[in-house]
Amino acid sequence: MSAYPQGTAAAHGLAACHVCGKASSAALHRCPRCEAPIHVRKPDSLQRTIALLLTAVVLLLPANILPIMHTENLGRVTPSTILGGVVLLWEEGAYPIALVILIASVVVPIAKILILSTLVLGVARASTASPHDRARLYKVTEMVGRWSMIDVFVVAILVALINLGDLLTIRPGNAALAFAGVVVSTILAAGSFDPRLIWDQVPAQKESDA
Amino acid sequence: MTADAAQTRAATTPVACLECDLLVDLGPLAPGQRAQCPRCGTTIAASPKQGLHRPLAFALAAAVLLMLANVYPFLAFKASGLERVMTLTESASALYDDGSRVLAALVLTFIVIAPAVLTASVIALLVPLVTGRRYPWLRHIGRLVFVIGPWSMAEVFLIGVLVSFIKIAKMATMLLGPSFWAFFAFTVCLTAALAALDRHYVWNAIEGRDA
Ligand SMILES: [Zn+2]
Repeated sequence: MSAYPQGTAAAHGLAACHVCGKASSAALHRCPRCEAPIHVRKPDSLQRTIALLLTAVVLLLPANILPIMHTENLGRVTPSTILGGVVLLWEEGAYPIALVILIASVVVPIAKILILSTLVLGVARASTASPHDRARLYKVTEMVGRWSMIDVFVVAILVALINLGDLLTIRPGNAALAFAGVVVSTILAAGSFDPRLIWDQVPAQKESDA
Repeated sequence: MTADAAQTRAATTPVACLECDLLVDLGPLAPGQRAQCPRCGTTIAASPKQGLHRPLAFALAAAVLLMLANVYPFLAFKASGLERVMTLTESASALYDDGSRVLAALVLTFIVIAPAVLTASVIALLVPLVTGRRYPWLRHIGRLVFVIGPWSMAEVFLIGVLVSFIKIAKMATMLLGPSFWAFFAFTVCLTAALAALDRHYVWNAIEGRDA
């Protein structure tokens, strides 16, 4: 008796390659078709995901507290934070852009961390919540993560473009690197979570023989 | 099992759904046909209508556009009679000059290096496949194509340009240079090329099988 649901590659002693999809003997270490490393399930998936999520949480603090950029205008230096930038855009009446930044820089990273933690907990506690819903949540976190990088790119563009010496210069703040670190660690966290773990607790039933 | 069926079976590679691990027996798909996982509903394979010519054409166009995007001014900025022009790579080099070296390396990777490597590897993969040549190194290029994707953030950078535009609008005039439009078109072409690249179809082609 296999510990894996009937009909899965794992139950047949096969490991599916994450790069090309081929199912090969789990005894092999590399996929015979594309030579990528293969595993029945991603090794230490939950531990790695949690470690990367903790990294993201720790970096989230400096990313939101420290200034993301400094504006130097005639000798006066004005620091601005991520949230400060959103508030400023809102006050100027640029509502759609303020919302874009609020969602990309604040809502998405936090939602991503919460969702991935819930998915890890769900697997660890053998949750009975719908695997379809959980799999859908996972796919969303996988897709939206990169869009959080917008604010970092805005800083990069403003620093390169606005460089008029004493008159007006924009310099990067320490939050920019911290925030890039948040985005990179959440992308890596989503990549180390193995969605097959969600389905391993569900008996497989084929709806058709096709 | 008839001899014919046995032959078809031998000609297909056993594949598993990458989301739920269900082992699926994929026969050859007709052009335009899609195979969904019966257990979780994920699309496992989608046979392209026009084979690999279409993604190749888009990837070639993308390569030319990315080169153009690195030649001309990307953005210009005018305030109080002063003008500053920046190129695409300056968005990374200005950070480097300011001492933010790690951040500069990340930005350069996400907006230039990863998109360029991705485009080049799609071309290096598809030219031999379309002309019917098979080389042992194709599998390494194929792996690169399917692994580097999340780190290519050209389209995210475009939204960043839009946001910068609005942030600056109050204090100065910002102008889009020819490189911006080249980069915009590059992003569209690369996205179209990747959308037409089906994992299952491509790997069957690399192995020299019909999908
Ligand atoms: Zn599935």
